[in-house]
Amino acid sequence: MANRIKVLLTKPTHDAHDRGARYLARKFRDAGFEVVFTNFLVAEEIIATALQEDVDVIGVSSSAGGHMPVFEELMSGLAAASVDDVLVIGGGIIPDVDARVLAGLGVPAVFGPGASAESAVEFIKEHVRQRSAV
Amino acid sequence: MFDEETLSASQQAKARWQADYERIAKRFADQAPTQALNPQSHSGLPIKNCYFPHDVPDSTRPEAPGSYPYTRGNLATQYQFMNWANQPVIGYGLPEDTRSRMDLLAEQGMVGYFGSRFYNLVYDLVSHEGLDPDHPAARGRIGQCGMAVYSAADMARLFDGLDLRKINVVHITYYQVIAALAQYIAYAERQGVAPAELRGNTMNWYHQSAYVGMSAFPPEQGLKLAVELISYCSKHMPKWNTTNFFGYGVEEAGGTAVQEIGLMLAFGIELVRACQQAGLRPDDVLPRFGFQFAQANDFFEEVCKIRAMRRIWATTMKDRFGVTDPRSMHVRIHTHTSGAVLTAQQPLVNLIRTTLHAFGAAMAGTQAMEVSAYDEALAIPTGDAATLALRVQQVIQEETNITAVSDPLAGSYYVEALTDQLADAALNLVADIEAQGGYVRAQRNGWIRSIVEESSERWRELVDSGQRRIVGLNCYTAGEEPEPQLFKVDSEVERIAVERVRRLRDERDAAAFDRAMESLELAAKEFAASRMDQLGDDKLLPAAIDAARADATTGEIMGVLKRHLGWGPPHES
Repeated sequence: MANRIKVLLTKPTHDAHDRGARYLARKFRDAGFEVVFTNFLVAEEIIATALQEDVDVIGVSSSAGGHMPVFEELMSGLAAASVDDVLVIGGGIIPDVDARVLAGLGVPAVFGPGASAESAVEFIKEHVRQRSAV
Repeated sequence: MFDEETLSASQQAKARWQADYERIAKRFADQAPTQALNPQSHSGLPIKNCYFPHDVPDSTRPEAPGSYPYTRGNLATQYQFMNWANQPVIGYGLPEDTRSRMDLLAEQGMVGYFGSRFYNLVYDLVSHEGLDPDHPAARGRIGQCGMAVYSAADMARLFDGLDLRKINVVHITYYQVIAALAQYIAYAERQGVAPAELRGNTMNWYHQSAYVGMSAFPPEQGLKLAVELISYCSKHMPKWNTTNFFGYGVEEAGGTAVQEIGLMLAFGIELVRACQQAGLRPDDVLPRFGFQFAQANDFFEEVCKIRAMRRIWATTMKDRFGVTDPRSMHVRIHTHTSGAVLTAQQPLVNLIRTTLHAFGAAMAGTQAMEVSAYDEALAIPTGDAATLALRVQQVIQEETNITAVSDPLAGSYYVEALTDQLADAALNLVADIEAQGGYVRAQRNGWIRSIVEESSERWRELVDSGQRRIVGLNCYTAGEEPEPQLFKVDSEVERIAVERVRRLRDERDAAAFDRAMESLELAAKEFAASRMDQLGDDKLLPAAIDAARADATTGEIMGVLKRHLGWGPPHES
């Protein structure tokens, strides 16, 4: 049986802009992904949920600024937990200049306003880490 | 509305038009766009390609602005003596940063009613979450999307030198409204200004958790908190506008024009009912309610939405609650031009969109306006972009001559027919919600969230498939674009905000603080256990004001409320 790709989609609790992330959640489900959708207050919560749910992909949505510390804490927290097979991507309002810094941190893609859901689905299918077959 | 002769001539004219239209349609049948054969408003209401006198509903009667049911406006004079107020949203960085933007826009001519000054101030994300800047989750969010104001001491930094009696301050808060109002009152007292002299608004937006995905108080507790604030202000702050109906948030979340006004009317019924249970008279609270509505892309639907809302609010409040004060029936509107329809691509094009939105809002007869800045889909607006957004209002006010005539679109066959259609559709939505037991029930069972989400998805499908065209996004795209100059909040803001809150905690009178917080704990505990009909003795807000007097911060006051009332994600995923 082929493994279903499991995605954690998450946005900050205090970010009112959840329209894009919730839309993506539905499109991901339509594409056959398993989707967990949560709000987070601090990056530790993302890591805890990702480990508990054993996800392949973490998508962090941010449309109200303040995304850089979240990604920094998330990436260093994942490294500290020796998680190296999870694909982390971003979405929402993240300026290009920040996206370039994120690429250096190991966040290879940011899906901003106007990006199609299909492009995110395709990207995940292409880049999700091949995990050892169970 | 029309006599027999006119109606008969109207039918003949329509028949002639129809024959011509079909002849042309047949010739171009293979390339007919949807809007040619099956036109719809952006809300999905069926519309016609041309309107005639007999399309105006029988129920439409000649009506005067300032007369019940107020379809044409609250007052006989619309903009002739008093223009709409410029109310740009302001707020970023430290309170001093926000103040400099307030002063900049004031210098550029931002003006309220009769020359008075309105300040429409938004709090930052840390405050919205009910936290202080030294909380671990605050990093990167301090002074972002709003101002870093967390105490009465920060209020002093924000308003230094301004006479609070002469200004009108809108506090754009989410669920931290009680903390922010308490701090504003505490600061005013230090200036020798009594609560009764203050003018402004609190949003009281607990109802937004039905369609906005931020963490929130449980719906029933939120409704009680809203009533508590209304009750206190109606007794102690007669000039204060207590509650704002956040229709804009419905549109922002992807809802339609029909949902925007229908949900706000449904919540209005729920809120007035709750106020009555708490012993308040509708005519004592309704005159201090206001509304925030979006003005989005479907020009005529957005104008008619406002006209329809004025009519159904007035008729509903009169019929259901027997109000007699005209102000209880008025829909006082702050327009926020839609941010959701702006594009990150070719951002200058947003100036054209916001101009059309602002023009529509003026046609609809709004009372106050925020025009989104063209760079708002990218970041906090720059000073130049914020000034240009103000100029949009000023050009319409000063140069177009539309302010000479009240409700200038009235009598258009299309506008009257569409106004009626929107009113009917919104009332149907209200009936659906009432059948479920009211707004809070429909919130709790997820129904409101799901209908808004369906609309949002429908919009997205239309955009993705190219049926809903957006210039620069799915048509007339520009390829590689130059990187725009974006506004950035100074990185020192975080350090200073954290240092300030720590110093405040060190320097305040610890004994007075402890006493006040103990009383707040007791009041919150009692409040959490109270039924709606046990409210009205106003214990919670005064306790919060006492805490603010003792320099309690937003995080500290909200911490108490969260602990006793509950706090968490608003919806199941």
